[in-house]
Amino acid sequence: MFVLTWLTGLLRTRTLRLAGTVIGVTMTVALLGSLGAFFAASKAQMTRQAAAGIVVDWQVQVAPGADVGSVGRVIASAPGVLRSLPVSYASATGLSATAGGTTQTTGAGEVLGLPAGYSAAFPGEIRYLTGARTGVLLAQQTAANLHASPGTTIVIGRPGLPPVHVVVRGIVDLPAADSMFQAVGSPPGSSLQAPPDNVVLLPQALWQQSFGLLGAKPLAAVHSQYHVKLSSALAPDPATAYADVTGRAKNLEVKLAGAGLVGNNLAAQLDAARKDALYAQLLFLFLGIPGAVLAAALTAMIAASGGERRRREQALLRIRGATPRQIVRLAAAEALLVGILGAGLGLLGAALAGRLAFGVTRFGATTGQAIVWGLLAGLTGVVLAVVTELVPAARDARKISVRQAREVVGRGRSPLWARLYVDLWLLAAAGVVFWRSAQSGYQVVLAPEGVATISVSYSTFLAPLLLWIGAALLSWRLAHAALDRGREVLAKAFTPLAGGLAGVVTASMSRQRRLLSRGLLIMALTASFAVSTAIFNQTYAAQSRVDAQLTNGSDVTAATTAESGLPPRIFPAVKSIPGVQAVQPMMHRFAYVGNDLQDMFGINPRTIQSATAVSDAFFQGGNARSVLAALAARPDAVLVSDETVRDYQLAPGGLIRLRLQFAGDHAYHVVPFHYVGIVREFPTAPRDSFFVTNAAYIARMTGSPAYQVMLTKVSGSPPAIAAQVRHLLGPASGAVVQDIHSQLKITLSGLTTIDLSGLTRLELTFAFILAVAASSLILLLGLIERRRMFAITSALGAKTRQLGSFVWAEALFVTVGGVVLGIASGWGLSYVIVKILTGVFDPPPPHLFIPWVYLASLAAVTAGAIVWAGVGAVRSARKPAMDIIRDL
Amino acid sequence: MTDVLVRARGLTKAFGQVAAIADATFTVIEGDQIALVGPSGSGKSSLLHIIAGIDQPTDGIIEWPALGPADTLRPAQVAVAFQAPSLLPPLTVAENIALPVRLAGGGDKAAAAATGPLIERLGLSDIAAKLPEEISGGQAQRAGIARALVTAPRLILADEPTGQLDSATAADLMDFLFEHVDLTYAALIVATHDVGLAGRLPLRWQMLDHRLQTEAFTGVPAVTRTGAETAAQAGAEPTCSS
Repeated sequence: MFVLTWLTGLLRTRTLRLAGTVIGVTMTVALLGSLGAFFAASKAQMTRQAAAGIVVDWQVQVAPGADVGSVGRVIASAPGVLRSLPVSYASATGLSATAGGTTQTTGAGEVLGLPAGYSAAFPGEIRYLTGARTGVLLAQQTAANLHASPGTTIVIGRPGLPPVHVVVRGIVDLPAADSMFQAVGSPPGSSLQAPPDNVVLLPQALWQQSFGLLGAKPLAAVHSQYHVKLSSALAPDPATAYADVTGRAKNLEVKLAGAGLVGNNLAAQLDAARKDALYAQLLFLFLGIPGAVLAAALTAMIAASGGERRRREQALLRIRGATPRQIVRLAAAEALLVGILGAGLGLLGAALAGRLAFGVTRFGATTGQAIVWGLLAGLTGVVLAVVTELVPAARDARKISVRQAREVVGRGRSPLWARLYVDLWLLAAAGVVFWRSAQSGYQVVLAPEGVATISVSYSTFLAPLLLWIGAALLSWRLAHAALDRGREVLAKAFTPLAGGLAGVVTASMSRQRRLLSRGLLIMALTASFAVSTAIFNQTYAAQSRVDAQLTNGSDVTAATTAESGLPPRIFPAVKSIPGVQAVQPMMHRFAYVGNDLQDMFGINPRTIQSATAVSDAFFQGGNARSVLAALAARPDAVLVSDETVRDYQLAPGGLIRLRLQFAGDHAYHVVPFHYVGIVREFPTAPRDSFFVTNAAYIARMTGSPAYQVMLTKVSGSPPAIAAQVRHLLGPASGAVVQDIHSQLKITLSGLTTIDLSGLTRLELTFAFILAVAASSLILLLGLIERRRMFAITSALGAKTRQLGSFVWAEALFVTVGGVVLGIASGWGLSYVIVKILTGVFDPPPPHLFIPWVYLASLAAVTAGAIVWAGVGAVRSARKPAMDIIRDL
Repeated sequence: MTDVLVRARGLTKAFGQVAAIADATFTVIEGDQIALVGPSGSGKSSLLHIIAGIDQPTDGIIEWPALGPADTLRPAQVAVAFQAPSLLPPLTVAENIALPVRLAGGGDKAAAAATGPLIERLGLSDIAAKLPEEISGGQAQRAGIARALVTAPRLILADEPTGQLDSATAADLMDFLFEHVDLTYAALIVATHDVGLAGRLPLRWQMLDHRLQTEAFTGVPAVTRTGAETAAQAGAEPTCSS
C-alpha cells in the first residue's frame, strides 16, 4: 500500500523526471526493436533478390551414358521443383558465314539444343535482339564475328562429321552465359570457365538431327543438362535458404546415384547473399548499437539528474524511520514502473517504426527470432531502468549518510577512469586496431566461395567503438579541465552574456563541473552519433548511386548491339529534351588482344564527365582527371585492365597491337595503340578486362564513326526521360534504354544490395529525436533540479536577465562544447567506418559525403530545443518559486 | 522628516481557502526595529515575503514610498535573511555573501570592499573559501545574515535569524545586527519565537490567528504604534499597490 502511495505521489509530483526516464527507456527499446525489424526485412529482401536474380536455379548435368529420360523423372519428382527441361550441348569445331563477298570463320563454339517452351519457362535466359524468336538463333557476339544477320546461312563444323548448314532466324543475347556454360561439378574455388565466344541455339529437333549421332561416339563432344526452376518459397534468412537449397541439391544427387550432377546457381547466389547478410549484421553493429547505447546513456543521465532530489527524499525517509530495505523497495517499484512502461511503449514504437520504415511489424526474420528479439529488447528496457534507477538508489540508501545526502556539488576526486587516463588509452587502442585493419586491406568479411562457414573480423569494429567511447570520455576530460582551469577564459567569454556576473556564473559552473561535463559528454555522444550516422548514410547513398551509374552508365543510357550504332540524329534530339543536361556518345566495339576478345569503349575523354560520373577509383595509378588527360593527350592512347598489363607485360607508353573490325571489309585488322594507364571500372563496362580509348581514333582507323551507346545526364526524372528517349528511338532500333532508378532497384553489388533507405530514415529520425531530447531534456531537467538555487537567487533580487545568464552560459557551454567535440569525433568515426567498410563499396568513395541539409536542420532543431528549454527555465525562474521560498 | 519605508492596508494572503494573513494594516518607517512574533504557521514568514516584495498579497495594498516600485527593492534596498540554509551550493561563502553586490551591478572592488569587513566581523574568514555543504548550520546562518547586510539595505527582514545558533553566538550576532541598523538607520523586522530576542527590539508586532496586531501586547516599554496612527503620521493615503 505504501509503495502504491509512493508511486502515485511520484506520478503526481515528479511527472517530468519520470516521463524523461520512461522516454529514455522507450527510445532504447524502440531502437533495438526497430533494428530487429530492419534485420528481418533486409535479410528477407536479400534472399528474395538473390532468388530473383537467378533464372535457372539448377543445371543438372546428365552423366555420360545415363538415361536422360529417367534422370528427368527423378528431377521432376524432387521436392520444390517447379519446372525442368532438357537442354543439349554440343561443341562445334568452328563456324563460318559468307556475307558481302567475304567469308568469316570463327574458332570453336557451342551449339545448344533447346526444347520448345524454354524461353517461357526461363524468362531472361535469352534476350531477343533482332529477327525471329524461334528457329536458329545466333549469339550477338557470334553474329558480329560472322557478320551474320537474320537470313544468313552459317556453317557449323562438327567433330568427325561433315558440317551442317543452317539459316539464322534471329540474333540474341545470353545474359546468363556464365552460368549457362559453367563446368558443372568443378570443385569450389576453381577458376571460372569463360563462356564461349561463339554460340548457336537450335531447336531441340534440329539439334538432334545435327548432333544426336555424336552421342554414340566415344569421347563425344555432347552432353545433356536439365535446367530446373525451383519454388520461390525460401527461408527468409539467406544463410538458412542457402543451407536448404544446398541440402536439396545434394539429396537429388544421392537420388540420381551418379547419373547426374547439380550445378547449383541458386545456392551460389545465396552464398553471396549470406555474406551480405553478415554485412547487414555489421551495419546493425555500427549504426544501431551506438544509438541504443546513447539512448541508454541519456536515460542514465535523466535518472542521475534527479539524484540530488532522491538523496534528499531518502534522507527524509530515513529521518522518519524508514529502513534502507524499505527505501530500496520503493526505488525498485519506481524502476519497475519505468522499465515496464518504457519497454511496452518502446516495442509499440518499434512495431510502428518498422511498419513505416521497412513495411514489417515483426522483429526478426522468423517467428522464433521475432519473439526472442522482442523479448530481448523489452528486457533490455527493464534492465536499463533497474540499472539507472534502482542501483544508484540502493547504493545511496546503504552507503550515504544523511549529511552526505545534502551534498549537491561535492569536491570529490575525478572518476577512476579519468585518473587512469582510460580515454587516451582507448583512443590509442582504436588507432592501433585501425592501423592493423588498414594493413590487412580492411578485410572484414571472409567468405570463401562454396565454403559453408563465413567469418567476420569483429575485432576490426573495435576501432570505431573504441574511438567513439574514447572521444566521448575525452570530451568529458576537456570540459572538466576547461571548467577547472579555464575559469578566467570562460569568464571573459561569458562577459557579453552575463556582464558583471560573468565571474559568479563561471564560478558556479566550475563547481558544478562534474554535472556539466556529464551533460557535455552526452551532447558530444549524441552529436557524434548523429553526424557519423548521417555522413555514413550519405556516403552510402552516394556510392550506391555511383554503383548504379557504373552499371547503367549514366542517368539514362541507350545502347545498341547493331554495328551501325545508334542513329546519329538521336544525340541532338535527346539533348533538346527538357531536363536533359548533357549527352555523350560512346562507342562499344570489340578488340582482340592476342586471342582474347575484349570490349572496347571509345570516348571523348575531354567531355565524357559531363554526362557520367568518372570516379578516381575507376583508375589505378592516378586520379580520373590525370588519366583522362593522358588519354586525351595522345590520339592512339588506350587504357587497359590490370590483368592485361600483367598478361602482356605492358609498360606505360608501350605499344600494344589490337585487332579491330574495319567497316570496309568487316574483317579484323591490326591497329596500333599506346598504353597510358590502367582502368579498373568504367560506365557500362563489364567486370572483367576491357579497353578505353579515344572514339575519334577508332572512327579514323576502322572507318566507322558509329556510336553504340548514349550516356545522358538529366536533371529531371530519369524514368520519364528514358521513356522519351525510347519514343525517339522507336521500337525498330533494337536499342535498349535503361534509367538509373530502375537500375538501382535491380542490380547493385555487395553491401549496396541492402536497402538502407529504411534504416537511414529510422536512424536519422532517432538521431534527431535523441539530439533534441539530449539537448532540451538535460538542460531542462538540470535546471529544474536547481529550482531552489534559482528561487534563492531571485529572492535575493536577481533580474530576469541575470537569471538568464546562469541558464544560457550553462546551455552554451554544454551544447556548443558538446556539439563541436561531437562533430569532430563524428567525422572521425565516419572516416573510420567508411574505411573499414571499403570492401563493400564498389568503387570505394573518393571522400566522405556530408549531408549539409540534414545537419543544418538538425542543428536548427537542436538550437530551437535548447532555446525553448532555456526560455522555459528562465521564465519559470523569473518569479521566485514560492513553494521553495516558503521552506527557507 | 522620517521616511515611510513600507505602508500597507488590508493585506490578505490566502492559499486556496486557507488565509495566512488577514486584513493586515501597518507602516514601517526608517529606523524602526520590530519584533514579529507569533506561533508557527501564523503567517509571519508570509508577511515578511510580501514586505520584501518577493510575494504578492491576495488582496489589499502595499507600497514602499521611500524605496520605490516593488521590482527595484532587492537587492539594494530590501534584504532578507532566511531561517533555513539558503546559500547557493556552487558558490563559496565569500561569493555567496558578495552575490547581492554583484546582482546590484557592483564589480570586484565593490564586492571585496563590502564583504571584507562583514566576513571579518562575523568570524567567517576561515570558511570564506568553503562551499555551503562544507560548513555548519550556524556558520551558514551567519553567512546568510552577512549576505543580507552586504548592500547596506534600508529595510532588513530577518526570519528566525538565530534559530540555528547557540545563545552566545546568537547574542553576538544580534548585537552586530543592532549596531549595523543603528549605524545605517535601516529598519529591521525580525520574525522570532525567541522572547529574549524579541524583547531587545523596541517595537513588537504579533500574528495571532493570522491577524497582525501592531499594538503593544506586553508590558515591555516599547514604542508601539497602531497601523492607523502610523498611517496618519505618514500623512497620505496609500496609493500604490504591489
